[in-house]
Amino acid sequence: MVRFPTDEWIKTFKEELNKNKTYEEVAKTWEGDFLFVVTPDEALKKEVVFYVDLWHGKCRDAYLVKGKKKAAFVFSGPYSNWKKVINGELDPIRGLIRGMFTVDGDSKVIIDQSKAAQELVNTASKIPVDFEV
Amino acid sequence: MGETIDCHFWNPNLGIEDDLEFIYEDVGSGIELRRPVFTVEALDKIIKGIKQARKDYLLNSDIPKVLDVIGRVNDLWMNLAYKGRKIAREVLPLVTGFSVEMVESWGFDHFLRILKKENLPLFGKLKADNFKKFTKLGDGLVRAYGKSNVSHSNYNPEVIGHICAGNILGLAAFEMVMDKLVDAATWVKVPSEEPVFGAMYARSIEEVDPKLAYTIAVLPFESGNTDVKEFLFSKSDLVRATGGEQARRGLSLMSEKYKVPVAGHWHKFSFITIAREYMNGRAGEIAELVSLDVSAWDQQGCFSPQEIFVESGGDVSPMEFAELLAGEMETTSRALPKGSNSGKMQVLDGYYQYFKKEMMGEPVKIFPSPTHQWLVIYDGNTANLEPSPLFRVIRVKPVNDIMEIPGLVKPIGEFLQTVGIAIPKDRLIPFADAMGDAGATNIKTISSMTLQKAWEPWDGRFPLHELFEHDNVRWVSIDTHDIDTELKAALERKRSIVDQRLKFDRLQQKEHSAMNA
Repeated sequence: MVRFPTDEWIKTFKEELNKNKTYEEVAKTWEGDFLFVVTPDEALKKEVVFYVDLWHGKCRDAYLVKGKKKAAFVFSGPYSNWKKVINGELDPIRGLIRGMFTVDGDSKVIIDQSKAAQELVNTASKIPVDFEV
Repeated sequence: MGETIDCHFWNPNLGIEDDLEFIYEDVGSGIELRRPVFTVEALDKIIKGIKQARKDYLLNSDIPKVLDVIGRVNDLWMNLAYKGRKIAREVLPLVTGFSVEMVESWGFDHFLRILKKENLPLFGKLKADNFKKFTKLGDGLVRAYGKSNVSHSNYNPEVIGHICAGNILGLAAFEMVMDKLVDAATWVKVPSEEPVFGAMYARSIEEVDPKLAYTIAVLPFESGNTDVKEFLFSKSDLVRATGGEQARRGLSLMSEKYKVPVAGHWHKFSFITIAREYMNGRAGEIAELVSLDVSAWDQQGCFSPQEIFVESGGDVSPMEFAELLAGEMETTSRALPKGSNSGKMQVLDGYYQYFKKEMMGEPVKIFPSPTHQWLVIYDGNTANLEPSPLFRVIRVKPVNDIMEIPGLVKPIGEFLQTVGIAIPKDRLIPFADAMGDAGATNIKTISSMTLQKAWEPWDGRFPLHELFEHDNVRWVSIDTHDIDTELKAALERKRSIVDQRLKFDRLQQKEHSAMNA
């Protein structure tokens, strides 16, 4: 079991993503890095930010950010909503549409790469996870 | 052509058609329209059918899959050889009264572009506190006015109903697409003025993904059919409606009776503002662009301009601009002619009304079309706001300073909608702030007034968010954060539509003359 949201979790995510052949295929034109921002709510006291560098169907780097970091896209939402996504209970694009997440960056690119986004979530949901609460 | 066009759509496997009577309407050119006479029993089966399809299929489909279907449906419609488009090209001018050129360029090429998957909005809700001043969104800017006060909230609507006004082609298609993004089953009442395109679009979804299409019902019933309307209201989580004052009153009563929220888009007033900085060597280009806004949909849209305010102090006076505009109206009208319901009487009424004023010595000058296709009026009486007779009748008014305009239009603030603009960047934000205060909701580059961008709010509310929640926040948008780049692109688009079409006409005339020689 890997605890979310930790550096160990995002590194496991990177490993799993790089094993995912479906992701490699659907994300082969994707170029851009992400900040995944987990904002605090009742179960999480402090904001957690992950940096994920995605390039042509591979994850080149992924780590927990300490300090400031910029990326092409910033996908952020409260911890409880991240939990739903990782448990496979919430489609992140449905979450965006309902205002449960926000994205900074060109949303046209996200729509264009929606299959890749879906596969990112599928990968995350396969990691045996242990939540804060 | 000799064809019957069905104005309805639902899952044919429901087996309802055999029990229904149909009305046939001959619209000319050998085309007849077929509309069902609905019974409550049939509607009950239809609503149960779309709910079941939602549960079995839509809720289990991921959004990328839905987006992919929408993308493929739009690719079909953007293809000139698509059979649906070919039929629509024959039928829509007959039923709507718009010219085939208008249907083709504004209807298909531009309206359908809004529905391209890469242009669809992905955000249903924005935090108003982050937009207290004009802030970037999409390729434009938005600002939130007012405080959030939620009167309705349902983030899992099961059935959404749509009552579409007849003045704009394609609204039914837009509504179907929006509903799929919020996981709702859809019924659409298509307007009697244009009962065709909604069902055609739904059938094209059926071609690509039948199960998704069966979450949709297109219902061409008469507006006066209260039994049908009440039944459908009672089965809906929300109804979005567009229409005039009569529709507003009727639907508000029904909303109260059935405790079903209505997202209403009612009668609006839109106009154009041109700053003096553009009344120079570029005035001719500005007139070209404005002529498109006045001509689009024969000025029938809520976003069509009814007046043009031109700021004095530029090299070209407001009256000279009116004359330039008249020249461009003639060119644009040749490329995008008016349809069969051309409103010639309205143009003549406008002509005689202002001819009388001109004769009485009022500061009025008329620039008429030789064939009453359009009418440009210079009216020096700046203060009086009057609705245009429409059908390409437009008044040009002088204004000393564009910042006087918000005060002039504030008395009709609740009716204000789109403000077409040619205002330099440094003066645009103060003007937009003041127009937002006055009640306007959409500030758009001239020539784009009728071309909604998918990310833009509509009457102060975002199209997706409005399907979930009503919170009293009024969103005001500017369609660009770079007005000069937008104007340049608009001019290229205008010339590609108008000049190419005129070139095509000239070629046809040449061929015709050669054949007759």
